[in-house]
Amino acid sequence: MECIIVEDLRKHYGQVKAVDGLSFSVERGEVFGMLGPNGAGKTTTVECLIGLIKRDSGRVEILGRDPKVDPVGVKSRIGVQLQTAAMFPRLTVREIVKLYSTFYANPLGADEVISLVGLEEKANTQTRHLSGGQLQRLSVALALVANGEIVFLDEPTTGMDPQARRAFWEIIESMRSKGKTVFLTTHYMEEAERLCDRVAVVDQGKVIALDSPAQLIADNFSEQAIEFVHPQLAQDDALSFLPAVTRRQTENTTVILYTLEVPRTMEALLQRAREIGANVGNLTVRTATLEDVFLKLTGRRIRE
Amino acid sequence: MRMFWQLVIASVKDMVRDRMSLFWFIAFPLLFTFLFGTIFSGMDDGTQSFDIGLVVKDQGPLGQGIVAAFKSVPVFELHIGPEDDELNSLRQGRRLAVVIIPEFNMQAMTARTPTEVVVYYDESQQATARIVVASVGELLAEVERRVTNAPRLFTAKALSIHVEEFRSVDYLIPGILAMASMQLGLYGTFTFVELREKKIIKRLGATPLPRSMVLWAEILVRLVMAVVQCLAIAVVGAVFFDLKIIGNWLLIVGSVILGASMFISLGYFLISFARTNEAAQGLIQMVHFPMMFLSGIFFPINVMPEFLRPVVDAIPLTYLGDLLRHNMLGLPSEFGVGKDVAILSAWLVVTLWLAIKRFRWE
Repeated sequence: MECIIVEDLRKHYGQVKAVDGLSFSVERGEVFGMLGPNGAGKTTTVECLIGLIKRDSGRVEILGRDPKVDPVGVKSRIGVQLQTAAMFPRLTVREIVKLYSTFYANPLGADEVISLVGLEEKANTQTRHLSGGQLQRLSVALALVANGEIVFLDEPTTGMDPQARRAFWEIIESMRSKGKTVFLTTHYMEEAERLCDRVAVVDQGKVIALDSPAQLIADNFSEQAIEFVHPQLAQDDALSFLPAVTRRQTENTTVILYTLEVPRTMEALLQRAREIGANVGNLTVRTATLEDVFLKLTGRRIRE
Repeated sequence: MRMFWQLVIASVKDMVRDRMSLFWFIAFPLLFTFLFGTIFSGMDDGTQSFDIGLVVKDQGPLGQGIVAAFKSVPVFELHIGPEDDELNSLRQGRRLAVVIIPEFNMQAMTARTPTEVVVYYDESQQATARIVVASVGELLAEVERRVTNAPRLFTAKALSIHVEEFRSVDYLIPGILAMASMQLGLYGTFTFVELREKKIIKRLGATPLPRSMVLWAEILVRLVMAVVQCLAIAVVGAVFFDLKIIGNWLLIVGSVILGASMFISLGYFLISFARTNEAAQGLIQMVHFPMMFLSGIFFPINVMPEFLRPVVDAIPLTYLGDLLRHNMLGLPSEFGVGKDVAILSAWLVVTLWLAIKRFRWE
C-alpha cells in the first residue's frame, strides 16, 4: 500500500525552479531515500510533503491526505526532522523532547527517545551548550518522539561524526523492522546504499533515476572502476581507448575508467603511463557505486 | 490546550534562565526605584516653613509687640538680626522675605500718619513670597487693632480640608512602573526575533501545533510578567518609600495590562522591520530612549521646553504614567483619565493593526 504519492510536484521561488515536476511513491514500511547534491530540491520537496510550505502544482498524498488541504491532519501522523537544528536555547534536552511529545496523540517516552539517539548524558544540558552533532541527534529525537506512521528526515546525518552516524543507521534499521515508513534525504552515497530500499536520484528539481541501489548500479554499470589522480594523465585522450574501457570520466586531475576487464585495462594503463613517463601512485579499483551512477547521469559528482 | 500551557511553561523557563532578560525586566526597574526614590525622598523634608528675616529698629513696647506677634506664627522661621546681614541672607536665597520694623515715632502716630514697614522679598519665589507679604500685612493690621482698640468686625476662621500630601517619590514610582511596562513590551519581543531567526518557529511549524499558539504563549508570559513587575515595584515603593497605594488593584492591573499590551504591539510592529537580533535591538532602542526621557515620567511635563511639547503629547508613555499616578495614588490626573485611556487604546489599536499587517513568521 502506498503511503506517499507525489505526482508532478512543482515549487518555484521567483525564477528558480526548486522542484520541477517530481513524481514518485513510497510503500508502507519502506525506507525511501532521496539522493542528490545541495540545491537539488530535496529540502523543498520534504517541506511540501509535510505541509510546511504550499506547492505550486502537482498532486501530493500523505497517508491519504493532501498536506496542502489538511496540514494539521498530516502533521499529527508523521514525525519530522528538519535541517534547522536550533531549539529553545535555554531549555534542556529532556524538556524540549517532553514539550514536543505533548504535541502528539501517541508519543514515545522522552527518555526512551533520548537514549535511542545516545543523548542520555546530555539530557539535562541546555541546548545552547550542545555541539552541532549533538543538536543534530536532538533533532532526530524530536522526529522519533512523535511516533508517527511516517518519519521524514532531511539530511539527518549532516554534522554527525562517523560513530554517531553508525548509531543513527541502527535506529533506521530498527524502525524498518518495526514496519515504520522512513523518508530520508541525503547526499551521502554510502548512507543511501546501506539504508534505503529504494532511492530517487534527484538533480535540479527532477528525479533522474529511481530504483533499489543495487538495481540502479546494475542498470548503469556492469563495469568496475579504476580511479586515480594524475594531472598529466588527466589530459591524455588515449586513455579513453584503452582495451575493455567503456567509459571515462575526468574531473580536474581525477580520472575514472570504467572497465569490463580490470587486468587488461590495468596492464595497458600502466604501460601508457611508462610511455609518457608518468608515475601513477594512488590507484584504486572498485565496483561502481551510486556516486558513479550520479556521475554518469549528470556528468557531475554529488559533493562538489 | 495542554500543549499551549506546555508552551507557556517552556517560554517562562527560557526567560527565567536568561539572566539578561531578568535583569532588564525586574532588577533594572527596582534599581531605578531605589535610586530615584532615595534621591527624591531626600528632597522633601516634611512640613514647609518660611525663613523670615526680621530687622527690629524700634526698641519700645510696640516693636516688642510686633516681634511677639511674628513669633506666634508657627510656619515662620524667624531670624532676627541687623539690616545688612538679613538683606545679604535674602540675596543669597536663605530668606524668603525680610521685614524691617522702623523706629516708631509717637508724634506721627498720634497725628495718624502711617509708618511704613518695608518688606523685601525674593523675586524668584513670587508665589510664596506674596503669601508671606500678605500675611505680614495681616499681622500688622492685627497689631494695629490691638493698639488702637478698634473693634473687630469680622474674623476669618480657617477650616482646613485634608488633602493627601504628595511627594516627588509619589510622582516618580508610577512613572518607573510605566517605564518598566514599556521595556517589557518592547524588549520582550526579542525572544520572538530569536525564535524566528534561529528557525525554531519554522521547526515548530512542522508539528501539529498551530503556529499562532507560539505567539500567544509569548504574549501571555509577557503580560503576566508585567503584572509581576508592577507588584514588585509597588511593594518596594510601599515598604521602602512609604508609598500609599490607595487605588483599586483591578484598575492598577488593568492600566498595566493596557500599557503593556500597547507596548508589546509596538514591539512586534518594530521587529517586523528587522531581520536579525542586532537590527531589532537598534530599532527598539531608537524608540525606547526618546520615549523614556520625553514622556514626563521622570519630570513634570511643564518643565519641558515648549518646542518639545508636541512630541511629549504624542508619546503613549506620558499617558500611561499619568494614568498610573492617578489609579495607584489618586494623584490628580494631568490630562484626565478618559483621555489617558483613549490615547493608550488608540495607540494599541493602531500598533496592533500595523503589527498584524506586517507580521512575518520567517
